[in-house]
Amino acid sequence: MHRHERPQGIQGVTIKRMLFLLLAVVPVLGWADDAVLSELLTRIRQTSQAQFHYDETRLLELADKPWHGQGYMLSGADGSLVKLQLQPARVIMAIAEQRMLYWDPQQNQRHSAALDSAGPAGEQIKVFRSILQGRTEELQLNYAIAAEKQGPQWTLRLTPKPELSGDDLPSIEISGDDKDEQRRILIKQSDGESTEYRIQKATAAQQQDYSLPRLLREASGE
Amino acid sequence: MSFVWRKRWFVLLFPLFLAITFWHIKVETDLNAFFTATDDEDSRLLAGLLKSGELSRRYLIIVEKSEPTKAAGDGNAGENPISIAIFSNRLVNQLAKLDDVEQVWPADQPPRDWVDAVASYAPYHARLFSLNPDQDAPELFNPTKLETKAEGLKQALLSPQGGFVKTVAKQDPLLLSLNGFKALQGQFQQQAKLGSGGALILQSRPAALDSEAQTRLQAAIRADFAALNAAAGGAFKLSMAGVPVFSVAAQSEISQDVTLVSVVSSLAVGLVFLFLFHSFSALHWVMMVQGASFVLGTLATALVFPQVHSLTLALGASLIGISSDYPIHVMVHCAKHRNTPLSAVRLLWPSLLMGGLTTVIGYGALGFTGFPGFEQIAVFALASIAASLGLTRWVLPALLTHSALHSAHLPGIAAWVDFCGKHRKVLLGLFAATLVMAGLCLPQLRWMDDMQKLAVDMDVLKQQDTAVRSHFSSIEPGRFVLIQADDWETALQRAEAAERRLKALQQAGVVSEYHGLFPWLVSAQLQAENAKFYQGSINPAFQQAWQAGLAKAGLSVEKLGTLLPAVDEPLQPAKVMDSPVKHILSGQIVTGQTGVMLSLWLGEHDPDKLIAGLAGLEGTRYFSQKDQLDHLAGKYRDRSLVMLGIGIGVMALFIWLQQRDMRKVLLTLLPSLASVLFIFATWALMGEEVSFLHVIGLLLSVSLCVDYGIFFIDNRGKDADVTYHAIASSTLTTIASFGALGLGKTPTLPILALSVSLGVTLGFLLCPLLIQKPKN
Repeated sequence: MHRHERPQGIQGVTIKRMLFLLLAVVPVLGWADDAVLSELLTRIRQTSQAQFHYDETRLLELADKPWHGQGYMLSGADGSLVKLQLQPARVIMAIAEQRMLYWDPQQNQRHSAALDSAGPAGEQIKVFRSILQGRTEELQLNYAIAAEKQGPQWTLRLTPKPELSGDDLPSIEISGDDKDEQRRILIKQSDGESTEYRIQKATAAQQQDYSLPRLLREASGE
Repeated sequence: MSFVWRKRWFVLLFPLFLAITFWHIKVETDLNAFFTATDDEDSRLLAGLLKSGELSRRYLIIVEKSEPTKAAGDGNAGENPISIAIFSNRLVNQLAKLDDVEQVWPADQPPRDWVDAVASYAPYHARLFSLNPDQDAPELFNPTKLETKAEGLKQALLSPQGGFVKTVAKQDPLLLSLNGFKALQGQFQQQAKLGSGGALILQSRPAALDSEAQTRLQAAIRADFAALNAAAGGAFKLSMAGVPVFSVAAQSEISQDVTLVSVVSSLAVGLVFLFLFHSFSALHWVMMVQGASFVLGTLATALVFPQVHSLTLALGASLIGISSDYPIHVMVHCAKHRNTPLSAVRLLWPSLLMGGLTTVIGYGALGFTGFPGFEQIAVFALASIAASLGLTRWVLPALLTHSALHSAHLPGIAAWVDFCGKHRKVLLGLFAATLVMAGLCLPQLRWMDDMQKLAVDMDVLKQQDTAVRSHFSSIEPGRFVLIQADDWETALQRAEAAERRLKALQQAGVVSEYHGLFPWLVSAQLQAENAKFYQGSINPAFQQAWQAGLAKAGLSVEKLGTLLPAVDEPLQPAKVMDSPVKHILSGQIVTGQTGVMLSLWLGEHDPDKLIAGLAGLEGTRYFSQKDQLDHLAGKYRDRSLVMLGIGIGVMALFIWLQQRDMRKVLLTLLPSLASVLFIFATWALMGEEVSFLHVIGLLLSVSLCVDYGIFFIDNRGKDADVTYHAIASSTLTTIASFGALGLGKTPTLPILALSVSLGVTLGFLLCPLLIQKPKN
């Protein structure tokens, strides 16, 4: 029953046509000092509107097999973020004006909550936004950040600061290669569940398919 | 004891008693404690709800964008405007840190501990999944829908609520326990549709009517808001509603009234006194005597009652005018007859004593009208009048030894007495005709049946309250369905029966919404019924179908495939009330003296249809605070009318005991009774709604007017002009002191001012008409 709604344009997109990637992390030789880290974090700062295609794999404690989903992420200059899941079913999860919105038309489930009181899901999407929009101050507030480089591959590890261990913050691993074609983000919850995203910049054609304000309106039920 | 020592003792003891009074007194400012009788279960319930009810402790707060001003617009140029949601989120975080805040949360989502509390019900899922298990079980346990159910579970695990759902699903794979909480979810969803993110609910720790703490809290809320708003460029405005907002405003009004009445009353009496006697020295000593009477009255009240109400002090201040009557009579006779104060007080003592006694009877009757506050006033009056009489008799002569008294001639007094004497027959005929007409007017009298009209007028606050409440779902704090029973089990069974009816009434549009107790608290009977349906459905075939559904959805059969039998023991109310759920339900568990009382909160509703809809349910009734207050108003009115009659009867008895002459008794009472009749008739003609307070005012005026009759008939100075001058002087001070009550904004005070002032004025004027001028 799952419809595949992947837009046509994405098949033909070449890597070279991608404008820039989510995380432009300069790899270093297995270590990262403050200066390098600072440079990395400055480079990932995203202030303008951007759109990404993602593939998601979740390992749930109560599931026998991994769950897969895919869709688009739309990031707004005002800090809003929409995660539009198209497969296996259309679901919108968004941040707008410090609120988390959730809309599952198939299950007819709609939620809206202040971001700070939305529980682990709220925390996760907040972290995701911090990564996508390069909100480095938010990340550094809660995480110890370490960088690692092996050949062309690099990894940035975000570990919750020890004093925040009671807050159920996930640990995060962001990795990529020198070509900056695609990124992998692995979010591991403290209860053992994990979510892996593979993200790449959407093409100009794909970006015309979805409007962030319209999706926000759909999510909020307006 | 010599005069010198009497004076020394008085000067020594007065400050001592003042200090003891200050040390001992605890002042109560809760208006309801003054008016709400606690002599039956409903009244106690009402008083308790008003004092500390959960809904009463809640503030409804709205954050909105303020109208942009030029200055603010300039100041924010180039900056990103902060949204209401972000700002209110910051405000919630800030307010949560305040000591007096128990909890604060956005109105459209449950507080975190509520969600945790819901998860704690998972082990009991088989016992509380439905209020109507016979109706819901076929759908909930339909084996053909288990695949859909498993898919739904997977989606729930993937949703933002995944963490919460996982906790529940581990113990309750079918998520049965959440079925009962659907209504709770619905409440918050409905709120989400209303609000724009700026609607907050704040639950205070102090009781709603603890106005000192609430004033402090409101100031702290405004300060936090102002600090955040300043940082946001003044882009927002804050509105608050809720019972504590009214209680603080009422407290402020009453405090102002108490100060105003006390100051103006004292000043007015002092000025009248100066006008009458032209002596600062005498004024000083008489005010000392009245001050001492006030202090002794306050001390006696503080000793008898745990707390003294501020209104007792305000009304007590008016007693200064009444109890100054006794020194005034003495001083008028002193000045006119060139007597010493001692000889004057000895001469007048029997009349003073009887006058004081009738006044005490009037106030004593007030104490039996049923108002807790007026019981205090009765004790206050008894003590202060006794003190005033005693000080007038034994101390005042010592204090006035060196005071020169010059009694002012009040123009028209002698002329009125002479006029009444000359035209007595005509005037009496006129009086009789008026009396008949007044009697005929009485049936038109309108009784006030809405106690709200006696509350402090707060139209602006009410408008603000309505505006703020429009942002919230419409649960009303003052009207609910009350369930009563001797034990928890019966009470819960009755609550469940009532909830079933309310659900039907909601579907019929009679009530917009309601907050019941299911499934927070479930009767053992309903738990057993649920368990029976559960056990009957969870057979091997059902389990297999469920496991197949799980497998198809990709969920773990090992972790979710075993549907455990219902737990052996039902969830006991005692256990629930021993958990954090107690705080969620505290507003719905009403503390009564006996048994269990539960309340089911209501949204907008049609009371008549709701009452009809609940008919026939044992131990279940509709409770309206307003109706209860109005019922109390009616009860108070009837009691005050009875006490008016009894008070007059007792006064007549005491006068007869002194005079042993029925004619004199009637003549003494006639001016005051006639004035009461005329005032009732005037109110009837004017269409004035008469409350128990009007009647009480008249009862007081009778007790004061009877004094005039006593003095006029006794005429102990053997000089009717001097006696009538003394009566006129005391009438002036009474009007001055009670007239000051008319300046109060609390409607109680102007009503008493009008009733008493009219009563004593008419009674004074009727004295020489109805009582033949005594021979000198």
